[in-house]
Amino acid sequence: MRWKQLILLCLAAVLAAGTAGCGQKDDGSDGNGKITLTLWYWNRSMDDNLLKQVEQKFPNIHLKAEKIGGDFKAKLMAAFAARSGAPDIVGLNDWVAEFFPNRDQFVNLFDYGSKELKPLYLEWKWNQTVTPDGQYQIALPMDTGPTALFYREDLFQKAGLPTDPKEVSAQLKTWDDYIAAGEKLKKATNGSVYMFDNINTVFNQTLAQSDKLYFNTADEFIGDQEPVKRAWDNAVKVHELGLSAGISGGTPEWNAAMNKGDVASFIGAVWMKQILMDAAPDTKGKWRIARAPGGDGNSGGSFIAITKQSKHPKEAYEVIKWLENPENQLNTLGTYNLFPSTPSIFGDPKMTPQEPFFGNQRTNEIFSESAKHVKSAYRGPKFSIANSVFSDKLSTVENQNLPADQAWQEAIKRIRKELLLY
Amino acid sequence: MTNPNTAPAATGRKPAGKQAELWREIVKNRAIYLFISPFYILFAIFGLFPVLFSLYLAFNKWDGIGRMRFTGLNQFRYLVTDVQFWKAIWNTLQIWVYSTIPMLFFALLIAFLLNAAFLKYRTLYRIAYFLPNVTSIVAVAIVFGTLFGNKYGLLNFVLTSIGLAPVQWLSSAFWIKIAIASMVVWRWTGYNAIIYLAGLQSIPSVLYEAARIDGASTWQTFTRITVPLLRPVILFTVLTSTIGGMQIFTESQVLNGNGGGPGGAGMTIVLYLYQLAFVKYLFGYASTVAWGLFVIIAAFSYLNYKIVQRPDAS
Repeated sequence: MRWKQLILLCLAAVLAAGTAGCGQKDDGSDGNGKITLTLWYWNRSMDDNLLKQVEQKFPNIHLKAEKIGGDFKAKLMAAFAARSGAPDIVGLNDWVAEFFPNRDQFVNLFDYGSKELKPLYLEWKWNQTVTPDGQYQIALPMDTGPTALFYREDLFQKAGLPTDPKEVSAQLKTWDDYIAAGEKLKKATNGSVYMFDNINTVFNQTLAQSDKLYFNTADEFIGDQEPVKRAWDNAVKVHELGLSAGISGGTPEWNAAMNKGDVASFIGAVWMKQILMDAAPDTKGKWRIARAPGGDGNSGGSFIAITKQSKHPKEAYEVIKWLENPENQLNTLGTYNLFPSTPSIFGDPKMTPQEPFFGNQRTNEIFSESAKHVKSAYRGPKFSIANSVFSDKLSTVENQNLPADQAWQEAIKRIRKELLLY
Repeated sequence: MTNPNTAPAATGRKPAGKQAELWREIVKNRAIYLFISPFYILFAIFGLFPVLFSLYLAFNKWDGIGRMRFTGLNQFRYLVTDVQFWKAIWNTLQIWVYSTIPMLFFALLIAFLLNAAFLKYRTLYRIAYFLPNVTSIVAVAIVFGTLFGNKYGLLNFVLTSIGLAPVQWLSSAFWIKIAIASMVVWRWTGYNAIIYLAGLQSIPSVLYEAARIDGASTWQTFTRITVPLLRPVILFTVLTSTIGGMQIFTESQVLNGNGGGPGGAGMTIVLYLYQLAFVKYLFGYASTVAWGLFVIIAAFSYLNYKIVQRPDAS
């Protein structure tokens, strides 16, 4: 009998331990009156040292900053779906607009007086944080991704193209100029060097320069119209002239192509600097940055929000307001290369160090100008639905020689069909 | 210790319905039911509930956190005409064929060699062949990704240096499937070889001796003794490879990303399901696809069952 009781007791203990986690409630304050705030961010999205300074700046706050690996958005979605476990403060990537339909998962920052911060931030960036009706702000801006032309000075010289960033921008004003320069480069190098890495870059970067994307503010599909079609046509033209190396970004192949000098240029966001430096160490000193043909654009960049599950939204608001103030953004640029969203500091000498990888050019002067001239464009919650279909079809055009017109028709048809699922 | 069988619970009571009796039995043996309850509780929460919930979701639109909207059979109608879905099934079947046939062939060959009497360091070989199976699949996919690189990959370097044309492994609709299949082959051949080896060792050596005395050739012993006696083991490996083949996911995801590679040519069924649920947040439609998949796998299992039945009948 004693054994039976003992085993029952053990079993009950195991069951109890297994379910105990479910009932736990954390009101976010500890014994000595300090408030605990949790913050989720992903690697390199925020400055670790800056996060450590929060507790000095706010003595009554204990900040638990958690670096979330893996699929960040999926983990956040899971916490929202469970109605518990979400952090007080959370970093959001450029998919911020995907949460517009579920904006009630976040506090409306307008309720905490965020309107007064508007003049501090780039207007187009600020607009991305506000729902189309203008009533609800779900996040504050963090860093931005202004785009510019990355090019190899030595290869441009070889092809008889201008080499000085100012002259490059002056001569390569439009995409047509850029493509013509690509043909010149191809001839001069007997086809061994490509001007473009892949046609998806051409498409995405043309679109990033536009004031309209795939959807209007009523979330109706307009991707069969002008800006998207123009981006498509640019990409197809580059493909048909054989100016693209056909190497997808973010792959070991891309790194090898850059390091070997098989690709002479690409348009990319400011954060591509770090990626390029890691990918192509052998080309140090040969790259330059110029204002991009076709205009300035933005690609990527992130945001910071407060969830409705937070017990202390007021305190959290003070923290994010401080984290993303111009001075801190300037420091973060220095430590983590995250480009600020606050134009007041663009003139600061600390903004524009000389960069040896780019031949001691002060590249951030270019990116600052670019950031100031990005056009406001509505992304909307369904952006990635259309975008993934277009990039899929463009890859097929580039790699499997699907006729471009057919690919365009198929893309439009498939997007219209997929949208029925939402 | 009291013996439950001697407890006077069932005697001296007026007859009740079968159900009441069942309940009495359960109450009587409650300690035993308590012992087995953890599995059933966990299964109900993590097994049964999701299955039933996904059936419910299949008729709804849901992004995971917002409101659910009932759509009736719309998503099933969409599924039938969903080009991506049928393409994913076709891709998966192709990858399954490309991987299973060479894998089982090589496994049998390796097992036959490992079983040979003249072999030394037998354990070493067994470990070496089994090692790929315990290697992290993500690491494998990354390494294979650099091997298969279109322009700077090791394989194309070898091909071009012996004067052959390079193969567009990662961007051609056919070769991407070969690339994925090769990862499966690399990883699972050793596993199947070990199973075959166990099967080979259970064949009595008297049969081989008798064959030798009768003057049978090696080929004859292989086809008349080894293969027939190994048939149940071969069927087992075919079944497990079918199940594994239907579930191919990581290889394609790490090599191609969530989009499924060039024009979706490397998109497998499970990757499609994952993409719908966890990239596009279409939990409703993902559930519809899951149930469509259930019907297809059920049909396959029935087919397998029929094939397994046949040898017994003859």
